[in-house]
Amino acid sequence: MTLSGQPSAVSSQQGTLTPQLQAVLIRKLTALADDEIILAHRGGEWTGHAPILEEDIALANIAQDELGHATLYLDLRRALDGSDADQLAFFRNAGEFTNVRLVELPKGDWAFTMLRQFLFDAYEALWLDAARGSTYAPLAEVAAKAVREERFHLQHTALWVERLALGTEESRRRTQNALDELWPHVAQLFAPVPGEAELVAAGIVPDLGEVRARWEGFVVPHLTGKCGLLLPLTLADAAEGRDVHTEHLAPLLAEMQGVARQHANAEVW
Amino acid sequence: MTQPQPIPDTQWSRWEVFKQDAPNRPWQAVGSVHAGDPDHALLTARNVFARRPSAVSLWTVRESDILTATPEELETRPEVQDTPGEAGTYHLGLKRTHKRSMTFVDLVGTLEASGPGDALRQAREAHPDALTWLVFPESGVVRTDDDPGTVESWFAPAKDKTYKQQQYYGVIGKHVGELKREGKMPGRVNEEPHVGDHKVYDHPHDKAPKVQR
Repeated sequence: MTLSGQPSAVSSQQGTLTPQLQAVLIRKLTALADDEIILAHRGGEWTGHAPILEEDIALANIAQDELGHATLYLDLRRALDGSDADQLAFFRNAGEFTNVRLVELPKGDWAFTMLRQFLFDAYEALWLDAARGSTYAPLAEVAAKAVREERFHLQHTALWVERLALGTEESRRRTQNALDELWPHVAQLFAPVPGEAELVAAGIVPDLGEVRARWEGFVVPHLTGKCGLLLPLTLADAAEGRDVHTEHLAPLLAEMQGVARQHANAEVW
Repeated sequence: MTQPQPIPDTQWSRWEVFKQDAPNRPWQAVGSVHAGDPDHALLTARNVFARRPSAVSLWTVRESDILTATPEELETRPEVQDTPGEAGTYHLGLKRTHKRSMTFVDLVGTLEASGPGDALRQAREAHPDALTWLVFPESGVVRTDDDPGTVESWFAPAKDKTYKQQQYYGVIGKHVGELKREGKMPGRVNEEPHVGDHKVYDHPHDKAPKVQR
């Protein structure tokens, strides 16, 4: 699936950024896009395997939306540095990807998949909601567009987490196991990229501390109150940066990038 | 020899999905989903039926709440019109043509009835030419609410998306259309199934007469 879109009208905005801010914004946009690309791939791995046909379609839709958001971010980046979205997605190695570790973990069972997507959807919906107020107009426009889809994703995954947690003994056990495994990874969602404080000070991106407070205010009552799950007492996993990955990312990229790399000069396939 | 055990039915309920394309248009039956409960049914219906084509409202109705009959069925089993159930407001849907492939039934209004069988009888009297009548109680409808937040997150995104044929999505390199315009595509890229000079199937929308044998 190509990530290259139409040339956007944002190039006129880049004159308003200092070179320093522009460099950090490029880093941030890439991180945002990388999260979406990798999560979309994990979602896509369920195609043909989801529990029922309707959910197969639903998850494929969600994964496609996430890839669409990656395209939006990479279009913003291209307006700043002329980079090519397909090159970034298909010709970078694991060490160059800057996604959080949460999204690269293997797809697991349905409970793991729905819970991860729920944790991420809540983060993304709240981040986008705040980013609608960005002083960088192109980002504010993208956020206003993407947040609508993300709110729907969140409804879908919140519903699934609730039903799995309150379903059978087995579904509850699986959902709790998923939470135990995923929870140590959520802190990284709220860890800024190097230099991000300058973007926040300029009003270009939301403050992640504030997003996290809203996220916890929504996610924790849902998991513990509504779903009766137990929050693990684990330490945050944010100390290492987005350039540090698990052993799971490289095999994922080998699969995702395989065709593109084998036929790097292909004009049509 | 042991008797085979009956296999328990583990399917979730089936829900019929009704979609409204635009304000002042009828809700139309577009297909069905399986779901465990009403909220799940509605969310799944949106994922399956309203992601690309535009919509403004979705209803789901549990299949067991719906009573349908064709004129032939009423002839052979007139007792369908005695089907018992709650009295109240019933929605009435009609299938009037075989021509459309994506939508099956239009909802045409409501009527007051003493039960589903009575609703069906009234439907038949009011619309004797229908190919199928469909009735269900108002109490069985699960609807999307029409607050701006729902409309914005459930239905607005689809308006920005154009439906594209599969071939649009070139993965890497140039789009097929670009290559065609540059004269680089050898022959047709999207041939329909055919045997010799003849298509192997007829599409209901095709105007051309069938091949004579």
